[in-house]
Amino acid sequence: MKIVAVAACTSGIAHTYIAKEKLIRAAEALGHEIHVETQGTIGTEDELTPEQIQEADVVILAVDIQITGTERFKGKKTVKVGTSLVTKAPKQLLQKIESELNK
Amino acid sequence: MKKIFADIKKHLLTAISYMLPLVVASGLLIAIGNLMGGEVVTDLSQMTVPSAFTSLGVLGMGLLPSFIAGYIAYSIADRPGIAPGFLMGQIASFLGAGFLGGMIGGFVAGYIAKAIRDHLKVPKWAEALMPMMIIPTLTAIIGGLLMYFVLGGPITAMTNGLNNFITGLDQSQKSLYGFIIGFIGCIDYGGAISKVPNLICDGLLLEGIIEPEAIKVLAAMVPPLGVTLAWVISKVVKKRIFTNQEVENIKVAFPMGLCMISEGVIPIAMNDLLRTVCATSIGCGVCGAISFTLGVGSNVPSGGVFVIPAMTKPLAAVIALAVGSIVTALILVLIKKPLTEEQAEGIQEEVEEEVEEEVDLSGISFE
Repeated sequence: MKIVAVAACTSGIAHTYIAKEKLIRAAEALGHEIHVETQGTIGTEDELTPEQIQEADVVILAVDIQITGTERFKGKKTVKVGTSLVTKAPKQLLQKIESELNK
Repeated sequence: MKKIFADIKKHLLTAISYMLPLVVASGLLIAIGNLMGGEVVTDLSQMTVPSAFTSLGVLGMGLLPSFIAGYIAYSIADRPGIAPGFLMGQIASFLGAGFLGGMIGGFVAGYIAKAIRDHLKVPKWAEALMPMMIIPTLTAIIGGLLMYFVLGGPITAMTNGLNNFITGLDQSQKSLYGFIIGFIGCIDYGGAISKVPNLICDGLLLEGIIEPEAIKVLAAMVPPLGVTLAWVISKVVKKRIFTNQEVENIKVAFPMGLCMISEGVIPIAMNDLLRTVCATSIGCGVCGAISFTLGVGSNVPSGGVFVIPAMTKPLAAVIALAVGSIVTALILVLIKKPLTEEQAEGIQEEVEEEVEEEVDLSGISFE
C-alpha cells in the first residue's frame, strides 16, 4: 500500500525522527511505499506533497502533540497513534492497518 | 474519562513543547547576564551589555504564562485559540499567577473557542469572520471576564495566603524556615506557587538579608540534580524507574538545572506527579534547612552553580545542594514503582530487534 505519515513528539528533537526511521524501515521491509513528514522543534521537514497525499491509501499520524496541516488529510483514511507505539511495534502497526484496509 | 485525561495531557504537552525553547533561552540569558553583573534595567540610557542579557531574559520569562496559555488553547481550538490564549496568559501575569494561571487560562480560552467554533452557527456571509474576528474576540471577552472576576480572586487569594503564612513565621527557627522556603520554592518547579517565596527572598535581599536568596538559588537546582542522581542510582541498583523518554528529558533537565532552571523536570514530574513532587520538595526543603542553618548567603538572585563561588560560604552551599539532591534521589529510587523492561522501552535506536513485542492494537481504527 501507499502510505503518508506525520511524526511529532513533545520535545521535537528525538522521538520524532526515531519514529520516522522506524516507519520507513518497517514499510520497506514489508514492501510498502511510504513518505514521512516530521514536525519537530526545528519546524516541518520533508513536507508531504499534495500528490503524495492524493495517491496514499492511508495516513498515519504518529503524534504526541497537536500538529499543523491536518486539513490536508480531509477525507483520507487516517490512523492516529503515539510516537511510542510506532517506535515499539512499527511492523505490527502496518500489518494491522493493512488488514483493516482489506476488510 | 480516560479520553478526557489523554486529551488534557496532549494539550499540556503541546504547550510545553512550544515553551521549552523559550525557557531555555531566557534562563540562559538571565544566567549569563547575572554572571557578568547585569541587572534588570528599564531605562535605555542605563543599559549595558550584561544588563541587556538579564533584562531580555526576564522579559522572556514574563512571556511564559502567555506561551502556556496560548499553546494550550491552540492545541484545543487550533489557530483561533492562539490569540485569546495569549491574552489569558497576560491576565495570569497581571495576577502574578505564572504557570498555574497560564494553564488555567489556556484551558478556559481553548474550550470557549472550541465551543464557539463548534456550536455557533452564523450566516454564510459571516463565516469568513469566524476565525478572524468572532472567535478570538468573543473568547477573549468571556474568558477575560471569567479570569478577572471569577478565577482571579481564588488564584490571588491562594498566592496572598501563602505570602502571609510565610512572613508570619517565627524567624528564630532557621532550619524550619529554611525547609519551608526550599519546600514551597520548588513545589511546582518555577511555577506560580514557587514565585511567592522567591519574591519574598528577592524582597529580603533588597533589605540586606541574603540567606533566603541563597536558599532560593540552591533549592531551585535540587529537583533537576536530584532526578539526574536518581537516574544514576537507579542504574547502579538496577531498578528501572524512568522510561527511556524520561531519560532523554533528564539529559536536557540536568544542564538546565545547573543554570537554576528547574522547569526541565516538569515533563518528568508530569508522568508521576505525586511521587516526584514529594521527593523533590522534601529534598529542596532539606537543602534550604541546611543552607539557612549554616548561614549561607547570596547577593546574586540567579545563575545556578556559577554563582556558588560568589556566595558567602561556598563550601556550605555545596554541602546543602549535595545533601538535598541526594535526599531527592534516594526518595525517588525508593518510592517510584519499578518499571518492567517493556514499560521503560521507548526505543533503543541502535538495537534493531527483529522480533517486536506484542502490543495491543485493538483500539486502532480509522478516523
